[in-house]
Amino acid sequence: MTAALELQTVTVARTHPRRWLGRVPYFVLGLYALVGGLGPLFVDYDPVHTSLQDRLRSPGSEVSTGTAWLGTDALGRDVLAQIVYGARTSVVIGVCTVLVACVVGVAVGTVAGYFRGWLDTILARGIDILLAFPAILLTIVIAGAFERSVLLVVTALSATAWISFARVTRGIALSLRERAWVDAARVLGVPRRAILGRHILPFTIGPVVALATLEFALVVLAEAGLSFLGIGLPNSAVSWGQTIANGKQYLESAWWISALPGIALSVLIVNIGILGDQLTARYGRGHLN
Amino acid sequence: MRKSLLYGLAVAAVVLAGCSDATTGGGSGSGSGSITVAGTYPIESLDPHGAQGGGTGTQLAAREIYSRLVGPGTDGKLKGDLATEWKPNADATEWTFTLRSGVRFSDGKPVTANDVAASFKRFMDLKGTNTANFTGYTMTATSDTQVVMKATKSDAAVPGKLATFYVIPAGVGPDDTAFFQKPVGSGPFTVDSFTPSQTLALVPNAQYYGGAPKVSKVTIKKMPELAARLTALRTGEADVVWGIPDDQLGELQGDSKLTVETVPSTAVFTMWFNSSIPALKDAKVRRALWQAVDFDTIVKQLYPQTGSLSDAPVSPITLGYVKQQPVGYDPDAAKAALTAAGFDFSKKLRLQFANAEFRQFNQAVVSDLQKIGVQVDLLEKEQAVFTKDLLALNWDINFQQLSNPTFDAANTLGRLYPCAAKRNGYCNPELDQLLSKAGSSPDEAERTKLYGEASQIIWQDAVGMFPMAVKYAYAWNNRLQGFSPDPNGLPDFATAQVNGS
Amino acid sequence: MIRVVVKRLLIGVLVMWGAASLIFLIVRVVPGDPATILLGPDADQQQIDELTARLGLDDPKIVQYGRYLADAARFDFGDSYRLGRPAMDAVLERLPASVELMLTATLIAVVLGISLGLLAGARPGRLLDRVVSGGTIALQSFPTFWVGIMLILVFALTLGVLPSAGSGTPRHLVLPAVTLALPFTAIVARLTRTSVAETMREPYIQTARSKGLTEPQVLTGHALRNSLIPVVTIVGLHMGGLIGGAVIVENVFAWPGLGSLIVDAVASRDYEVVQAATFLIAGVVMVFNLLADLLYTQLDPRIKLDGVS
Repeated sequence: MTAALELQTVTVARTHPRRWLGRVPYFVLGLYALVGGLGPLFVDYDPVHTSLQDRLRSPGSEVSTGTAWLGTDALGRDVLAQIVYGARTSVVIGVCTVLVACVVGVAVGTVAGYFRGWLDTILARGIDILLAFPAILLTIVIAGAFERSVLLVVTALSATAWISFARVTRGIALSLRERAWVDAARVLGVPRRAILGRHILPFTIGPVVALATLEFALVVLAEAGLSFLGIGLPNSAVSWGQTIANGKQYLESAWWISALPGIALSVLIVNIGILGDQLTARYGRGHLN
Repeated sequence: MRKSLLYGLAVAAVVLAGCSDATTGGGSGSGSGSITVAGTYPIESLDPHGAQGGGTGTQLAAREIYSRLVGPGTDGKLKGDLATEWKPNADATEWTFTLRSGVRFSDGKPVTANDVAASFKRFMDLKGTNTANFTGYTMTATSDTQVVMKATKSDAAVPGKLATFYVIPAGVGPDDTAFFQKPVGSGPFTVDSFTPSQTLALVPNAQYYGGAPKVSKVTIKKMPELAARLTALRTGEADVVWGIPDDQLGELQGDSKLTVETVPSTAVFTMWFNSSIPALKDAKVRRALWQAVDFDTIVKQLYPQTGSLSDAPVSPITLGYVKQQPVGYDPDAAKAALTAAGFDFSKKLRLQFANAEFRQFNQAVVSDLQKIGVQVDLLEKEQAVFTKDLLALNWDINFQQLSNPTFDAANTLGRLYPCAAKRNGYCNPELDQLLSKAGSSPDEAERTKLYGEASQIIWQDAVGMFPMAVKYAYAWNNRLQGFSPDPNGLPDFATAQVNGS
Repeated sequence: MIRVVVKRLLIGVLVMWGAASLIFLIVRVVPGDPATILLGPDADQQQIDELTARLGLDDPKIVQYGRYLADAARFDFGDSYRLGRPAMDAVLERLPASVELMLTATLIAVVLGISLGLLAGARPGRLLDRVVSGGTIALQSFPTFWVGIMLILVFALTLGVLPSAGSGTPRHLVLPAVTLALPFTAIVARLTRTSVAETMREPYIQTARSKGLTEPQVLTGHALRNSLIPVVTIVGLHMGGLIGGAVIVENVFAWPGLGSLIVDAVASRDYEVVQAATFLIAGVVMVFNLLADLLYTQLDPRIKLDGVS
């Protein structure tokens, strides 16, 4: 790990432009956060309202409510507005899922790694069982069967997302529990909760944050996949996945419906990936998972 | 050593890629004389009486492999298949079918009345979806060439209902999987190979009474993705596709290699109101809601070629169709009527549907209702949950595309609207009487008149909204001749032939 | 060694029991019942009750569970009423197609990924490395369904050189396998790159260079084997996941694999098929994990299986 770290610092010191390049993801993500957060204040959009006379207009066309800069979809709704509002939904779902997965995963992983014994074995086997069927299938089963809502999607996605967090923190807890200061704390009679909270958890933050960024990307992609299959979110929700799915039949005639949110999605994911890469390089660990 | 392993892998990859190019045939998977059909619905089983028997996939296959007593032609009129004549007795409690002579199964054995009666018994014993039409009915072979169906009540719609009943040789057990892997039937084709849910390959049945079909092979492949089906059609991999949405018809119509035709079907969009809930108990409220939606524009915009604004609860090609007074679009009057009736605008109505295909339509409806202040929760449900909720009346507005393979209103109006049916919470004894009389009178003209009166009640009481009559769009490669689109979405390939190309 | 394998197998059996039980629970918790779906909205209550009894679903859950486990132990998953065939038969029918897709995608990913990773990791920080690193991030960022549909548009529709969907000939395999392989390639490439870059800094590599070996010789003769160790594990794990996890690709390309079989079976509440398919997939995943672990030890004699958890 230190080898990679040295590598990184050596290269950075040599070439200045690289530092700027390294900052690009932050700018882009900041832009997305801004658009997702403040965009809805400037752009009006009601997913329920359809405007059939404006269907399938290409980008830049005049429609009844002004100009559709990125075109309209099959129900006459503005694609630009869908991208702006969709940013918010994708981010909200991504953040919520990652938070839930993080909390559950870190809790389970730390406890398993620190206490070891049968608790660890049960949890490890439990993880193995969950991993025995592909995540996407489990997600589809959960999301497809119950009544659609954002909560359902978050639940379905977190059901498998927490595992990576659990594994990473378990590994850290396992190695840390033998360290001198943890031993000392145990001998001194410090309550277990405090040991976990003060001596183990802080060390998990770095890798968990790195992992969280990567998981966020995966979750946003997975949500798009669920929407593509037509399950999960209710029709009144706006998400990139839904917009892309709605444009699925029109790839040749009205390519902008799927292509543009697809690009927005991909650019976001790419930048998260770069960011996650940087964080992983800096905090090491867990990238083999 | 490691180097050679790597090189070996690389070579293998190249060889694999090279192999795939060696396959001849390119885009057109069909050789001359054979047709490939890109199907939407999977064919899970070839048992016409089993659990899947009523499903579209199995019905499509059954039409080619087996024969039925009677069935609707492409114009909707009943044609005899195994039966040459069919007559009811005076009060339509008994129907006598005279069988065609000289019909043989694909194994050479003759088709007898005994086979027909045994098939019916098996059909009823297996309790598939369509047996609900014949509860308590029996069929007996009264002679070698005659079968008699005894109904439990006057039933004028029996022949139409038999459109989904197919005949197999007597003596096939309820779970005979081996038989249905290579079934014996008297239809125009026999099974060459069958991979459930994927491909069905049919070859002509030399024993078919109508003469063996001229095509050398019909392969029905399941392709669930619309884009894939249409691409296959355009590259020549598939010869026929149907059930094409309007938005995609334009591209196909511009292709000179393809013929595109729409045919009126028995399917109609039906949007029932749950008349048993307090908010929708009042017919005035229901009528107002119907008035509030601009169905004319929605149909014109979303279904310009395959949809037409309905003017009756059943499709124009159904027996029992009588034109009704159209409900105009008047949002202001609707809002006024709702307010006058004391409609609670703060309560959300639950509109349920179960197929992504209908999402756009329902979204447009919800949008129109929202414009006058009516809030609707649009619930797209999985089929399993939808059916469960449908039967439990756990909805406020229910959207379905109802089709009618019997072409007879008895199967829709007569079955779904009486009080006892409990399908939409609407109960009207006068309607019940009309429907029951219409279902039992043997005189077609009288039946139509009665169904017309029943339709009027249903229409004016707004038991539901009846927005649109559906046409099916078919597209096929010009090399396919003698093919007629079927109004039920179950086309027949017996008369098809392939142009040498 | 044998003891470790046996221990792993036993754990594997435990995991499969767990997976089987989990899926049993999940399909029964999900709303909607098989009888109503099979018979449709027009069946009367009596028909539904009869079918429910026939399917054995009116027994208490515990009884159903016991019966299910006892049958599963004999690899009997019952008959699918919907398909009219034994459930496991239906599942095994689809297995070859899934395996074919998985193996082809893995082959592409391994060949391409390792080559790219090798070239990038040999000269870290240089242009090729940056291109590969950037490229792999991009490959993992595009939604699979989008990539699939775009490939259909370009290769099947516009160029007309490949079939758009379905299966049957090797040419039908190309587009789905490529779509599935792209993110996989990215993972393999990045892993290989990091691994190679680290290995190349090891002292023994310096020794090899000073012995007079050329760079390619050093790379392939000395660095490659050790760099591949973590790659092998991940590839093995990933392969297991591809068997059932290619649902979206199967959907786009109408590829008759296990993923879409399960999704269809869940939609129709075909409990037997869902249970049989899940059991099979769990078994396959377990086998792949075991093989990956064993291969791991073979490649690196320093690793003892017990130490790897």
